[in-house]
Amino acid sequence: MKIISAIHYMIFTAALFSGSGWSQPVNAASQKLVLTGASTIAPLAAEIGRRFESQHSGTRIDVQTGGSARGINDARNGTADIGMVSRPLKPQEQDLQAHTIAWDGVGIILHASNPVAALSRQQIADIYTGKIDNWKIVGGRDAPITVVNKAEGRSTLELFLAYFQLKNSDIRPHVIIGDNAQGIKTVAGNSNAVGYVSIGAAEYEAGHGVPIKLLPLDGIAATVANVRNGTFPLSRPLNLVTRASPEGLSREFIDFTRSKQVYDLVEAQYFVPVSIR
Amino acid sequence: MAETVPVKSAGIHRDRFAQLTIYIAAFMVCAAFVWILSDIVRGGVAHLSWSFLVDAPRDAGRAGGIGPILVSTVLVLLVALTAALPLGWMTAALLAEYVSADSTFGSAVRYSLQVLAGVPSIVFGLFGNAFFSIYLGMGFSILSGGLTLACMLLPILVSTGEAGLRAVPDAYRLSAAALGMSRKTTLFHLLLPAAAPSLAAGLLLGIGRAVAETAALLFTSGYVDRMPGSLLDSGRTLAIHIFDLSMNVSGGDASAHASALVLITALLLINIAAMRLTAGWQRRKIVPE
Repeated sequence: MKIISAIHYMIFTAALFSGSGWSQPVNAASQKLVLTGASTIAPLAAEIGRRFESQHSGTRIDVQTGGSARGINDARNGTADIGMVSRPLKPQEQDLQAHTIAWDGVGIILHASNPVAALSRQQIADIYTGKIDNWKIVGGRDAPITVVNKAEGRSTLELFLAYFQLKNSDIRPHVIIGDNAQGIKTVAGNSNAVGYVSIGAAEYEAGHGVPIKLLPLDGIAATVANVRNGTFPLSRPLNLVTRASPEGLSREFIDFTRSKQVYDLVEAQYFVPVSIR
Repeated sequence: MAETVPVKSAGIHRDRFAQLTIYIAAFMVCAAFVWILSDIVRGGVAHLSWSFLVDAPRDAGRAGGIGPILVSTVLVLLVALTAALPLGWMTAALLAEYVSADSTFGSAVRYSLQVLAGVPSIVFGLFGNAFFSIYLGMGFSILSGGLTLACMLLPILVSTGEAGLRAVPDAYRLSAAALGMSRKTTLFHLLLPAAAPSLAAGLLLGIGRAVAETAALLFTSGYVDRMPGSLLDSGRTLAIHIFDLSMNVSGGDASAHASALVLITALLLINIAAMRLTAGWQRRKIVPE
């Protein structure tokens, strides 16, 4: 029994490795691009990559996720060919080159049953720093506010902080979330919550019966249309970043992501294509 | 006599109360399972079809199926088990049969496994990314994901295997020695089959943990939802697909529910199959014909 099972094991291992191509990956001869970074961009980049592969045989676009900070890191140290960063580059990141592929807005969301219709910039800042802790103070019902904040390293957080001139250490969050859909689910499940997420995602979910509403910011309605015409104040570019000026396949792929051929894909993920702006 | 009656009835009441509490607890456990299952079935069964199982995902997973994702999941699992099972069960045999329970070496091995068992999975993910993906140059691949998972499975496999072997009565070992069987023969023909149910339990726990893992795999086997061409390709597993659809892709809930339904059904089938196999193995080896 012992020898038989050992032999079985060897045969199985050999079959597993050879059957799935250990020594000669099927795509070994092909050119491969690795993208890592923002989870907001990852689904879009994967869809664009799929179309790019179908038009350029022998190429492979591998899209990985992990957040904008990771995109910056991986592009810098060469782990990835292209990083995905869902915000403008900071001054200390000017060693990288950014290529905007789409635009997105960040909107404040409340539960649909919340009677508050608008919040001023100061009120939002006070809610997030804990100075206002009850909806009654801003004209709502008598209920404590649940503050939903984004996790460290998320670019939505950085944009939000920069816009309201806050520091993350000043924020008194009750819930910390990662991705957009998670934020929407958190607010939809708590009638006293306030959060901020990508406008495209929120508009889609609100249109499909999820009980959330987007608040206007500085009097401008948080809609994809206002992001498109450039009037919405809290919007951000979705960037592909490279260490140096891109060449070869990277160049081809980045040009493809910025071309008219992918507008439908960008819009299908509820973002705004780059040149319509 | 008059005094004992109320005491007795109070005792009966306490008994009844305890019984009721136990029944309610058991009922709540079942209710939680039924609730979860019905929620997933309600959300996903309409989306489920044969083409969902074999097609590639489209539109970030909102449409299309999970064919490549199922293949990646199976490959990651196979790599993990191929690496972890021999290592884990051999270590268990060493701890239970070859070193005494209180030897320094044995407790060092056991201690390191306990530490390993307590490490959060994201730490395994970062380790796997740094060691397998970058240092060993495997990149984002099914191989590095499977090997990372194997590290996570080792503590489960070793501890259940060791407990199972220790539970085999010493009379078995003494009888085998009296019959002049070598230690090796005793181990493979008698002790391991006798411990088969707990080995299988460990295997099932391991498979369950492996299939449910997202954090450790996100940075190792990766996010690519293409059909994997080799073990060095990146491949998205079912758990990561479900996580991404429900947390990152708006409008992906129906596909997420359907994928979760597939995951639970697969786990159920694996459980049943493993139970059958071990029962059969044990009967062939131990119960005389």
